[in-house]
Amino acid sequence: MTTTRNAVRGFLAHKGRMALSGIAVLLSVAFVCGTLVFTDTMNTTFDKLFATTSADVTVSPEDADAENASATGVPPVLPAGLVADIERAEGVASAEGGVFSTSVTVVDADKDSLSPTSGAPTIVGNWTDFDARTMEITDGAAPRGSGQVMVDADTADKHGLALGDAVSVIGVKGTHAAEISGIAAFTVTNPGAAVFYFDTPTAQKILVGEEDVFTDIHVTAADGRTDEQVKKNVTAALAGTAAADGGYKILTADEAGDQASADFAGVLDVMKYAMLGFALLAALVGVFLIFNTFSMLVTQRTREIGLMRAVGSSRKQVNQTVLAEALILGVVGSALGVGAGIGLAVLLMEAMGAMGMNLSTDDLTVAWTTPVAGVVLGVVVTLVAAYLPARRASKVSPMAALRDPGMPADARAGRIRLALGTVLTLAGAAALHATTRAEAAGDGSQWLGLGIVTTLVGFIVVGPVLASGVVRVLGLLVLRLFGPVGRMAERNALRNPRRTGATGAALMIGLALVACLSVVGSSMVASATDQLDKTVGTDFIIQSPSGQLITPQAVDAVRGAEGIDRVTEYKLLPDARITMPDGRVADKEWLNAADPSYARDLRTDTEAGDLADAYEPDSMSVFGDFADKYGLTVGSEVKVDFPGGGTGTLTVRAITSDEVTVDKGALYLSVDTAAKYIPAEKMPLDSMLFAGAEDGQEDAAYTALKAALDDYPQYQVMDRTDYKEALRDQMGQMLNIVYALLALAVIVAVLGVVNTLALSVIERTREIGLMRAIGLSRRQLRRMIRLESVVIALFGALLGLGLGMGWGAAAQQLLALEGLTVLEVPWPTILGVFAGSAVVGLLAALAPAHRAGRMNVLGAIATE
Amino acid sequence: MTSAVTIPKSGGTGRTSAVAARARQVVKAYGTGETRVVALDTVDVDLMRGEFTAIMGPSGSGKSTLMHCLAGLDTVTSGQIFLDDTEITGLKDKKLTRLRRDQVGFVFQAFNLVPTLNALENITLPLDIAGRKPDQEWLERVVETVGLAGRLKHRPAQLSGGQQQRVAVARALASRPRIIFGDEPTGNLDSRAGAEVLGFLRRSVDEFGQTIVMVTHDPVAASYADRVVYLADGRIVDEMRSPTAEAVLDRMLRFSGGHPQTSATGTRERTA
Repeated sequence: MTTTRNAVRGFLAHKGRMALSGIAVLLSVAFVCGTLVFTDTMNTTFDKLFATTSADVTVSPEDADAENASATGVPPVLPAGLVADIERAEGVASAEGGVFSTSVTVVDADKDSLSPTSGAPTIVGNWTDFDARTMEITDGAAPRGSGQVMVDADTADKHGLALGDAVSVIGVKGTHAAEISGIAAFTVTNPGAAVFYFDTPTAQKILVGEEDVFTDIHVTAADGRTDEQVKKNVTAALAGTAAADGGYKILTADEAGDQASADFAGVLDVMKYAMLGFALLAALVGVFLIFNTFSMLVTQRTREIGLMRAVGSSRKQVNQTVLAEALILGVVGSALGVGAGIGLAVLLMEAMGAMGMNLSTDDLTVAWTTPVAGVVLGVVVTLVAAYLPARRASKVSPMAALRDPGMPADARAGRIRLALGTVLTLAGAAALHATTRAEAAGDGSQWLGLGIVTTLVGFIVVGPVLASGVVRVLGLLVLRLFGPVGRMAERNALRNPRRTGATGAALMIGLALVACLSVVGSSMVASATDQLDKTVGTDFIIQSPSGQLITPQAVDAVRGAEGIDRVTEYKLLPDARITMPDGRVADKEWLNAADPSYARDLRTDTEAGDLADAYEPDSMSVFGDFADKYGLTVGSEVKVDFPGGGTGTLTVRAITSDEVTVDKGALYLSVDTAAKYIPAEKMPLDSMLFAGAEDGQEDAAYTALKAALDDYPQYQVMDRTDYKEALRDQMGQMLNIVYALLALAVIVAVLGVVNTLALSVIERTREIGLMRAIGLSRRQLRRMIRLESVVIALFGALLGLGLGMGWGAAAQQLLALEGLTVLEVPWPTILGVFAGSAVVGLLAALAPAHRAGRMNVLGAIATE
Repeated sequence: MTSAVTIPKSGGTGRTSAVAARARQVVKAYGTGETRVVALDTVDVDLMRGEFTAIMGPSGSGKSTLMHCLAGLDTVTSGQIFLDDTEITGLKDKKLTRLRRDQVGFVFQAFNLVPTLNALENITLPLDIAGRKPDQEWLERVVETVGLAGRLKHRPAQLSGGQQQRVAVARALASRPRIIFGDEPTGNLDSRAGAEVLGFLRRSVDEFGQTIVMVTHDPVAASYADRVVYLADGRIVDEMRSPTAEAVLDRMLRFSGGHPQTSATGTRERTA
């Protein structure tokens, strides 16, 4: 009982000193809970959305969801006559045909794309009663006749569209112009798509190119009939009418909703686990902060603890008192964190709203597991962090009560620590070295993981020992410039190496990851650029940033451009089934069909054979790993089942190298070979085009190409420089997202620096008072604290960046097997982070330095 | 009439006055209204250059407050304080800090040294802070007098209490301040170590002409001074020249015994 009472009193007495520890717990827990609440809310929203937007029963072509469903630019369809068949089925109140496609682009009068930039689809379809259930016409009227189109209100708002404005739909069936006749608003959550409606005949004509076809049929059940009964009846009614190529897919509202939700949940899970990973990293960093807090509290209270022991407290009781204080901190911090997490989730929802996805706070979903996970995390983090300080507290002898408190003795970094840390670091370095020697990426990545973890732990253990050396070096380089104030700052940073080590280690973790990822990222760009320079022979690359396939009209436009010497078509054929000579089967393989000139556009090294031969009739190439796995050599004959087409026997004529970054794992064959087995109407559209300019006409051809594609704003023409830049931008964006998420860990680490300084200032009150009394000015005092902070931050940065660059280099060596052949250290980033750490150190010292400056000299001297 | 005030006159150098520090009508009060406590009640005192003055008085008499105010560590409620001819009452923190750094030396009861600096670094700390080069000859002389020549590279934790206080005195002397204030400098020491420190203070007055003001409640410590000033209830009630430990003790006993009127030197009390 006394343990609890003492713990509560101890916590309350030191609540100011625990504030930053509490914030560290709060931040990590808030991020975890925020992520959970946000993803749960997204799931709820979309479950609801899919449930309300699904018809009682939906009939669609069986291959509607296949990978290649829209590769031809035309969606799979059902004959319109089925509607009548379905309506005759028992229990069907009504059936209505819908036709829609996402393989289209919509532009305004200025030929600017109206597609969402968030990656959400552009949907063009027919306006039906079924759509009217979830949308309300707010302006104008439903479209009638081929010249009218209706647009959703969010898209209209975003692009400033009004009734009467002209828009054009660009699809594989040509470009269709229409005038806006109406604007309709979603009555359910709009997931960010841009939606355009035509009347049924127009939609059929521009999307499919023939009338009397539908992409799906929405069935409404009669009153008193369950969806399941109706599904059964519809299935029976259609049994006799099954078309020659494939059957139907018949789903109840629940099944359709579940399927859509499952697809969506997969995407959401990736995001959820990534964010949770970063939150846990921040929690790990928080451990160091809390460890420092409790260490300092225990040191400061040595006399008090000694007294407790002298009057009869057992070691266990002392230990438990400290742990109980940590428990209170954990519970309070994480309780606040759960609340903050819900707030964070709401903020995220607002942010999604700004991106076009309107989420309602009515759907805010807080599962019971969320607060439990938050509190467990917070409590575990604080208890783990307080474990060692609590143990140290229990070792305080009763004699401590009698001793002159003086200053806490300099904590010397022990030899055991040095030995253990060195052994771990060396073991980790050996593992990293093994990584660079690995023959296969799989083995190597295990070594890499082991190496990263071991060196990290090694650095954390050896950190306090390193602190002495590194701080002295930094002192020589930086602090000596500041005279005696600098020297005192250096001594203060060295005073307790364990504290400096733990504070620096917290910063080290985040910055090590930043350094590692920046090294890998810039090596990727450098390697790809290098490869592009070596291998890419094409002058221009034409593709759609949003992944739209290239329509034949656009291909013709490219071919017709002035100054173009050759155009290479490049298609991806999904879902091929390859049967090896020994009978083994590789299913769901992607084939890369290209014109023979592709061998010039992209020069790929071969392990065997000549790649040009692979474009001969009935020939193909395979990549090295594929050949090894299936025992293929040049000359092997494989049977290929083409998607939506026939079966051919192809000869392997070349084996390509695996050390490539472009077209990794490609199986090449010529477009002509593919066309032999795939009927024209099933042939996927080109996913990219490559064009070569006539000699000396590069600039003119570039301009001509851009002009030729003016009517097709969904495509982008890139020359090699553009392409490299795009590659760099893409990598930069990815890294920025990761850096933004790592910022949380770095923020907690910076709080750790603030915490250490703030507690040090309290601990050194008398010393500060003394120095002020004998003439240290406020400015000098503040500078001293700032310099100490800068040194700690630079120490952490130095360790982190060094460690991270080591990891990055090892990772690059490993990935060299995968084509990441060039190691590039992004010095501007690394040096920027290092300089930034000094700034961060200055900022972290602001409050503690201000506080120290404000101390009353007499009061400080009199402090016990 | 006020007690313990001598008429300012020129000292031997002719350039500076013979009075090192002066307090005029100094009042220091805490709180307001009902809870108002007067720590110093219109105190007038002159502290002479080249003299070793001890300020004595019972607990709560205001002796430490007086010293803190004289040294510019604490502010006064009203009245004036001069160090030499500079009025320090009303100075801003920046100037006060510089004044303390350049012209005042301190020796506190405990915790006089910065634990991260060694003995020599502690001694030169005020000079380092000021960015001044120590006068090597003077420094050597001070160090020699303190008797710490072999321990200059030691950290405070490696020194005994007496040694620590001697380092503190050496620090106070190193910058050749106009005046050194000691706040019970021997309060934490045993009598032998205390005697070492006091002897050293005495020698710095005799040999270097240093001005020292020391607050103490120990009659033995006070007997090292040239002059003892007695405080009670925030007022100066008496003073004694060339004190001996017995005389000081005797005087104090009479104060605490409640018979100050019998004071042999005819202290004027309840001064206006």
